[in-house]
Amino acid sequence: MTSNGEGQGLKLDITVAGEKMMQAREKDAALTQTATAHLRADRVNLYYGHFCALRDVSLEIPARSITALIGPSGCGKSSFLRLFNRMNDLIAGSRVEGRVLMDGVDIYSPDVDVVSLRRHVGMVFQKPNPFPMSTFDNVAFGPRRQGISKRSQLKDIVERSLREAALWDEVEDKLQEPGTALSGGQQQRLCIARVLAVQPQVILLDEPCSALDPIATLKIEDLMRELAAQYTILIVTHNMQQAARVSSQTAFMMADEERAGRIIEFGNTRELFTKPKDKRTEDYITGRFG
Amino acid sequence: MSTLAGSRREVFARRWIQIAGFSLAGLATAAVIAPVIWVVADIFVRGHSAITWDFLTQDPARQGKEGGIFPVIVGTFYLMIGTLIFAVPVGLQAAIYLSEYARPGRLLRLINLSIVNLAGVPSIVYGLFGLSLFVFTLNLKTSIMAASLTLACQALALIITSSREAMVAVPREWREGALALGASRWQTTRHVVLPRAMPGILTGIMLAIGRAAGETAPILAVGVAFQLGKLPNSPDDQFLALPYHLYAIAIQVPGMPESRMWATALVLLAVVLAFNLGGIILRIYYGRRRQS
Repeated sequence: MTSNGEGQGLKLDITVAGEKMMQAREKDAALTQTATAHLRADRVNLYYGHFCALRDVSLEIPARSITALIGPSGCGKSSFLRLFNRMNDLIAGSRVEGRVLMDGVDIYSPDVDVVSLRRHVGMVFQKPNPFPMSTFDNVAFGPRRQGISKRSQLKDIVERSLREAALWDEVEDKLQEPGTALSGGQQQRLCIARVLAVQPQVILLDEPCSALDPIATLKIEDLMRELAAQYTILIVTHNMQQAARVSSQTAFMMADEERAGRIIEFGNTRELFTKPKDKRTEDYITGRFG
Repeated sequence: MSTLAGSRREVFARRWIQIAGFSLAGLATAAVIAPVIWVVADIFVRGHSAITWDFLTQDPARQGKEGGIFPVIVGTFYLMIGTLIFAVPVGLQAAIYLSEYARPGRLLRLINLSIVNLAGVPSIVYGLFGLSLFVFTLNLKTSIMAASLTLACQALALIITSSREAMVAVPREWREGALALGASRWQTTRHVVLPRAMPGILTGIMLAIGRAAGETAPILAVGVAFQLGKLPNSPDDQFLALPYHLYAIAIQVPGMPESRMWATALVLLAVVLAFNLGGIILRIYYGRRRQS
């Protein structure tokens, strides 16, 4: 995707302090070599005020593959997803215990700049949410906020991102038209292009197809598979078939008696769906509840 | 078949209740619009004959019975500009703070409520407040400056409230989308929330400034005059203003030709309308830009 010179520069500026940055860079190099977890939740508790939304959640998410989060409504899938770009921070009274690591760096440590973090960890939402501006401006939004203003450079980024999101051919001649005028599926791919334009390493998708028809859904799934070669993808889905179709690993989540989300089972997608170890996983995937 | 047709009585009742309901709503609308049209038409019919080039461009003579109202128009124009300059930047920034930055909670609700209530403070109270603060305490003299500041205080409540509401109404998905793309809170406000809220903000500003232009009570004590030897040429000067001039010629000058009063009222209306028209054009411009 990126010509790597540029990508690397952006890559590790999430820590503010220079020294920490260097340490992180070394850790990152080490981690990439061994190709271990890109993202890691380590005994995480998440609270909204007094309400515990996630309890003792640990998960290792490998780089450059698709990891699916499945589970019944209200089991904390979205909250868990939003740990990784710190979107939960927006909710007043939210609090995180435990560690959430990206390339070995705790993203909740005080010297992590949340804005920089979000440039590394992009997010696609449940409902397509293109801004009320042109397709071009939608894709250029992120780069512009980073100070890129040269038209030619923006044009390149926009084209590259739209191509990567398999949308270029459909919008090439209407880049100046409102992004909100596209069809639902196109809007969602526009939102993906918008994320890609920022050159993240991780893409979080929060039920990205729940508002789309089956054909648009398939297109997004194809796209995800292609993107998995370059990006670490974490997807929340209600749709078990979708998880089975696209993901390499699947985590099954469920709320406990106190409505706190927990991870019940995590493993290779094929195994989880064919030979679930936990009775609750089996019950859920065979449609006995949920 | 009979179930599809429904009970005749019920269908009949439902239809008539609907007709009655919407008719009442329509009547109420007419009752609101009719007086406005009547007032404007009446003022136009009675006043337009007195509006001549000289009336608009000459100084008043013989206590306004002759000559024109040029300095009066200029005074009101200065007041509107002054109010705009003082009220809009502060009001907009306060609205941004309240809508986008302040931590939600009891204190914020209290502040918002207080600001809404400020809009209900009688205008003469603002006038006396302005006299006490700007004229006496800050020694600004009775002047355009003092009057603009006084009107700005009054306009602030409306500008803050309407701007804040326009910003709060911007959907959360867009804010989240921008933040998730690595925009800072300020960038999100500046590039997503403000452009989207701009039409609502402009409406509030238009209403507030239009109202300021028509106010008499707040400026009475802080610098409006009925007769002046010259046009104001600095913010420290006293000024004439349409609403006060209208009051004075209607009440205090015996033998005033009636058409001149109506004409003055017509000019005041036209000034406010012209200002609002500018606002509407800006709104359309912003609406277009948002699309493309």
